[in-house]
Amino acid sequence: MTENFTIETRIEELEKICSETAAKIPSGSADQWEVFAARGLENEIDVFNGDIETLSFSDSTGIGIRIFKEGSIGYAYTAVLQEDAIRNAIKKALDNSKITKKDKLNYLPTKKDHKYSKNQVDKKLLFDKDYLKVPITEKIEMAKELEVLTKKADSRVSGVTNVMYSDGISEVAILNSNGLSDSYNTTIALVYVNAISRKDKDTSTGDYFGISRNPSDIGLADIAAKAAERSVSILGGQKIESQPLDIVLDPMVAAQFMAVIASTLNADSVQKGKSLFKDSIGKKIFDIDADIFDDGTLPAGLASRPFDGEGVIKGKTSVFEKGILKTFLYDTYTARKDKTLSTGNANRASYRSTPSVGSSNFYISPGNHTPEEIIGSVNKGFYIMDIIGLGSGTNPISGQMSVGAKGLLIEKGKLSRPVKEVTIATDILSFLKSFKMIGNDLKFVPAGGYLGSPTVLVENISISGK
Amino acid sequence: MIDKGIALKVLGTLNSGGASFSEIYIQKSISNSLKLEDSRIENSNSGYDMGCGLRVWIGDSTYYAYVDSIEEKKLIEAAKILGAAGKSSTTGKLFDLNRELRQAPSGYKANILKTPSATYANEKKDILVAVDTVCRGYDKHIIQVTTSLSDIEEEVYTANSYGEQSFQKIVKVFLSVNAVAKKDSDMRTGYKSLAKTSGYEAISIPKAEGIAKEASRIAITMLDAVDAPMGSLPVVIGPAFGGVIFHEACGHGLEADSIIKDASVFKGKEGKKIASGIVNAIDDPTMPNHWGSFKFDGEGYPSSPVTLIKNGVLESFIYDLRSSKKLGKGRTSNGRRQSFRHVPIPRMTNTYIDRGTEKPQNLIGSVKKGIFAKEFAGGQVDPATGDFVFGISEGYLIESGKLGKPIKGATLIGNGPDILKKIEAIADDLDFAPGFCGKQGQSAANEVGQPTIKVSEITVGGTGGR
Repeated sequence: MTENFTIETRIEELEKICSETAAKIPSGSADQWEVFAARGLENEIDVFNGDIETLSFSDSTGIGIRIFKEGSIGYAYTAVLQEDAIRNAIKKALDNSKITKKDKLNYLPTKKDHKYSKNQVDKKLLFDKDYLKVPITEKIEMAKELEVLTKKADSRVSGVTNVMYSDGISEVAILNSNGLSDSYNTTIALVYVNAISRKDKDTSTGDYFGISRNPSDIGLADIAAKAAERSVSILGGQKIESQPLDIVLDPMVAAQFMAVIASTLNADSVQKGKSLFKDSIGKKIFDIDADIFDDGTLPAGLASRPFDGEGVIKGKTSVFEKGILKTFLYDTYTARKDKTLSTGNANRASYRSTPSVGSSNFYISPGNHTPEEIIGSVNKGFYIMDIIGLGSGTNPISGQMSVGAKGLLIEKGKLSRPVKEVTIATDILSFLKSFKMIGNDLKFVPAGGYLGSPTVLVENISISGK
Repeated sequence: MIDKGIALKVLGTLNSGGASFSEIYIQKSISNSLKLEDSRIENSNSGYDMGCGLRVWIGDSTYYAYVDSIEEKKLIEAAKILGAAGKSSTTGKLFDLNRELRQAPSGYKANILKTPSATYANEKKDILVAVDTVCRGYDKHIIQVTTSLSDIEEEVYTANSYGEQSFQKIVKVFLSVNAVAKKDSDMRTGYKSLAKTSGYEAISIPKAEGIAKEASRIAITMLDAVDAPMGSLPVVIGPAFGGVIFHEACGHGLEADSIIKDASVFKGKEGKKIASGIVNAIDDPTMPNHWGSFKFDGEGYPSSPVTLIKNGVLESFIYDLRSSKKLGKGRTSNGRRQSFRHVPIPRMTNTYIDRGTEKPQNLIGSVKKGIFAKEFAGGQVDPATGDFVFGISEGYLIESGKLGKPIKGATLIGNGPDILKKIEAIADDLDFAPGFCGKQGQSAANEVGQPTIKVSEITVGGTGGR
């Protein structure tokens, strides 16, 4: 399998598919059109007890066609690129444009809609050519080694529930009737391990990951050590009494909360009256001088790309400056509605979906405290290392938050006994207002976007336990 | 969908390297979705996918690949690459494929009356407009309604080296309604969905209006909600979607892949008492038209029900082919996959706690101080530890046996094996609710169900004091 399996880029082919598809759109049938072609190549290797459990690979390409007709938009995609399937998709997109509501703001973006006029992303940094040279045998060995290292990291680690290596290439080409024609590709490699540890009758799990443009840049020993530590350190955790406590969120946890914050700052939600921040531009939301950015240009950022899902140039947008809300995140349509410019935040999960507003690399800027200083400043608190139920426990519209948490108690500035089966509950506005210290250890997590946060201290949050 | 001769040829190529099992899975699907928000049809999308997943077992390893095509040439090419994975292995044995492929019989019967392709786009639009009208007319505080309607028509063919083949047509329809209510600065949401393995006969306008009313009622009710209490309390869990508690707290831990990995709290508990003696739980993909139903599972195995728990005793885990072989147990029809792009894994289908004998009002009447959790926003579990959480989307205080004020921002947190033993009473009002369940990056159509049940104590994670 190894010698038969070679990887190469097919970006020119995608560009060709776009132009061939466009040529099939009957002239006069649409006012404007856009063809989006995407190819995804993926490898996934799961290992269990030193053997390959599953090895899967895939390479697929599809196109999405967006038709603009008299202010209405129709969309269709096909994963089958035969001539009749493409013609049928064009016909369906045209039919769909007859159903949606007309809106005079519905037309393709032009340069006038762009907030950022110059591409700031070096395409070469998104695609690591050396990635193509790494043989699959080496990737299999990485997964096997990560399993061995994790099991060896601590005597209490009894196994792993998952150890995985995955990587891939994503290639995108876009062509529209306004003359836009562009493309890019990216590489990504990810390893993940979830360690189980046992002591007496208690079981605990802890996970960690590494992510890079090239597998050769991923250090396995550190990932194994961290997964084991995160599992073992909360072994024997107990419920504590219900009480308000200062909480310290480790970066992996804090970053997950950033996803909730990002979703409330989406201009589409704001314009539809579904955001808590509807009338908050210019208001101080944090007590402290926190800065939050949405940056689509970070070289190592998973969500970095030269242009967004409708071809608008991406940039670095300052969302909160010194704790003050400065802007929402916009695509072309929502920007026109607010008489402003698109921040390049039209996301597109794949060729299967139409562009919609979403965040890029969204993160809170690091402060100057070490995590130790932050923990040291807390007399009695809860250091949270893992949360569960973020999706079902937070409602970005009402702002309610209540999630399960695990971690360590903080007593007189020192980490003490493990805690589990408790919840932390608050609402989004109070939560942000209660941020008190921000660490210097910014870390990004791929959790429904690419989200980043350092360690943070949040004061006086309700803990529910016994 | 594919000539039998070609299927045999592809299987033969897959097996040529000494595989112990090989399989092809062909899927063709046509999908449509419509979304209404801000009282306008925003999106009308159509999609077309067709392809084939190829799987072989070599020793203990699974190798998987797919192609976005069912052309003979492409299938043979991919099969050669996969088959070659076994060249170095000596553990496999060659299967004789000279025999005929046998058609697997299935007892599942359900009629489809009105297929999506025979339903006009305007009829679908009328459903969404009716939902919007009902929600907005329900109460002046409803400020936004998001409603989506999607349908899928699929054909699936499987054939494997055991000589089994299956063919099925699948039709599914899904309607969701999210209503947002606002009073002063408070915003609350109400969500309800209707989803069936059926044609559009399942989503008539009166039925859609009923769903719209329910979503609006929940959003309006929650406007008056008080902070949820904290600490351990008796909890009465409502019927239908309340079954998500069994799905998370127990169901995932019964999926046999986690048993193999020693990552389930239920490992080694077959034949043992794991729940209160009044608990009977079943997984049944044969219930006609239910959301999680099918004729054949993702491996072409005919659907049949499994008793999971009988009178509190663990009867069976749920298996896919691989886990049933590995553990030396009988196969169940739980090998499911999201699409031809995914490897099958053990998954629940329609999973429920069976009816008891009590009356729901008596369960509430028996609680002095506790809560009634009527609807949930979903949940999450760590199967290795059994720790789970659920977000309550509609809940009430119970005071002296009577329903009190609605509560907001509540999550239930606990441990699966622990909660099963604390089920004190089960009512006779069994009902079901549809949803999507995510596991290992794959989404599956699942139904949960239960009658009203009473749990003696669960930790409620609110902010409202004890």
